[in-house]
Amino acid sequence: MLLADLVIESARRDAAAPAVIGPDATLTYGELDALANRLARALARRGVAAGDRVGLWLEKAGRGVAVMQACLRLGAVYVPLDPLSPAPRIAGILGDCEMRCVVTTEARRGALASAGAPPELAVLHVDADWDEVLRLSADSLPPPARGPDDLAYILYTSGSTGRPKGVCISHRNALAFVAWAAEAIAADASDRFANHAPFHFDLSVLDLYVAFLAGGAVALVPEGLSYAPRRLVEFVQSHRISVWYSVPSALALMMEEGALDAAAAPTLRAILFAGEPFPVKPLRRLRRGFPEARLFNLYGPTETNVCTFHEVTALADDRTAPVPIGRACSGDEVWAVRADGERAGPGEEGELMVAGPTVMLGYWGQPPQRGPYATGDIVRVDDGGEYTYVGRRDHMVKIRGHRVELGDIEAALLQHPDIREVAVAVRGVGIDARLHAFVVVAPPAELSLLGLKRHCAERLPRYMIIDDFTPIAALPRTGNGKVDRLALARLAAASSSSQGEQP
Amino acid sequence: MSTSVAIEQTLKQYVAREILDGKDIGLDADTPLLEWGVFNSLEIARLLGFVREHFGVVVPLESVTAEHFKDLRALTALVASLKG
Repeated sequence: MLLADLVIESARRDAAAPAVIGPDATLTYGELDALANRLARALARRGVAAGDRVGLWLEKAGRGVAVMQACLRLGAVYVPLDPLSPAPRIAGILGDCEMRCVVTTEARRGALASAGAPPELAVLHVDADWDEVLRLSADSLPPPARGPDDLAYILYTSGSTGRPKGVCISHRNALAFVAWAAEAIAADASDRFANHAPFHFDLSVLDLYVAFLAGGAVALVPEGLSYAPRRLVEFVQSHRISVWYSVPSALALMMEEGALDAAAAPTLRAILFAGEPFPVKPLRRLRRGFPEARLFNLYGPTETNVCTFHEVTALADDRTAPVPIGRACSGDEVWAVRADGERAGPGEEGELMVAGPTVMLGYWGQPPQRGPYATGDIVRVDDGGEYTYVGRRDHMVKIRGHRVELGDIEAALLQHPDIREVAVAVRGVGIDARLHAFVVVAPPAELSLLGLKRHCAERLPRYMIIDDFTPIAALPRTGNGKVDRLALARLAAASSSSQGEQP
Repeated sequence: MSTSVAIEQTLKQYVAREILDGKDIGLDADTPLLEWGVFNSLEIARLLGFVREHFGVVVPLESVTAEHFKDLRALTALVASLKG
């Protein structure tokens, strides 16, 4: 079984059923199937063959979903790229995984060319080349000579040294999670999934592929709506969404500003969240607002997709502790290793380890992943054998579910001619999380926040642009000379004055 | 001073004071506010509250788009059209 088979099978069962509801068009399974075949032929004409990497640098739309299916049908590897990342960062990724072809718009292609993308890179334009695509045959293609352990897609995440890392996911990796999730929520052909996460974010794998496995429909939330709470609630209503999956921040906002509850959204039967801890107060509100719906807290880094889950049932009124990340799923095995290397028992903390079918093949351009994956997340083992997230062992942080290596931002800021040293800290949690840079400035320069935002915007994805900065004479250091991250976090927390944080 | 100029000045001061560090150097009518991460979804939600209180206009949901929030010029035009 390969990832491409899900749409092919569902199209065979009911070609007239809606598959993708995008801002551009609604595609039935039959239409998605035909468009994927046409796009596969268009890619093949551009030299794409099994094993080749194909980048997608597009705003979210049904065409993008069809391109992913087209790549899979050729046995090629799709690489969804952040439509809100600047062209130089995208050009770097195109080079990193030696992309054969990029699927994008004419305007974006122009930006890539100026940013130094390889000139030999083939391009399929979803605007200018569309007539060509529609003229190609929609007949089925012969199945590619690929197996379940071959690469299906690559997701790039923030890297600590300023270079994004490509997480390589096989068909088996993705299908192990998709099959588990479909069963856990009892997905069927009547379900309508909302796709809130961007395609380069692994949350989208559930929305797309669980829908395709079940023969249900997936409605794509356009980027511009991601945090417009009232419009998101309208989206749920107008598309009669039955399964919602997003970062907790989006759900918290939809409840606070969009009055999301079962009365407003009676069709919602399963609500899933992942990417960051869900603070108990808004989670309790969600539980009370949807007394009948099933709520799932999912956990897993991109490298393993979802490897543990916890179904949230009743939440006691006096509970202040976050809900657990739960126990292993997707066919995986998880355990925690203490600082002394021994396996953690009940009541103890350790780093969460994952082994099983969802563990990635490895990072692109690096040796394959062998054995269990060490998540870098510290967890506590509960008496009942469930795990609870405690914190990170490194400098990776989450900004509204996006994974951010502080070193990635620091490396970008260090390219500024007037900055000698820099360290970035996070203040606030959940919706209010802000990136705060402490900079040692080379005199007589004077920096402005607007100037630094611009500098970041030219190098980093939008969610990694700093929110604030403080010039500082010297970075606080620990006894052994390392940047004192705890002292920085305190400084950042103390400086949250003028930014109007909501309580 | 025409209404548009006054609206733009007010919005510019708001952005410099509430979102930036109080400095408006380089902040012009066509500074790309979305692209440079000055406006994100959360700041836009706060800004809508300010526009409602200060100008007495409610921005309809369908107008909350990148096209209207990309820079101060576009935002000024939106507010001016809503004030009628």
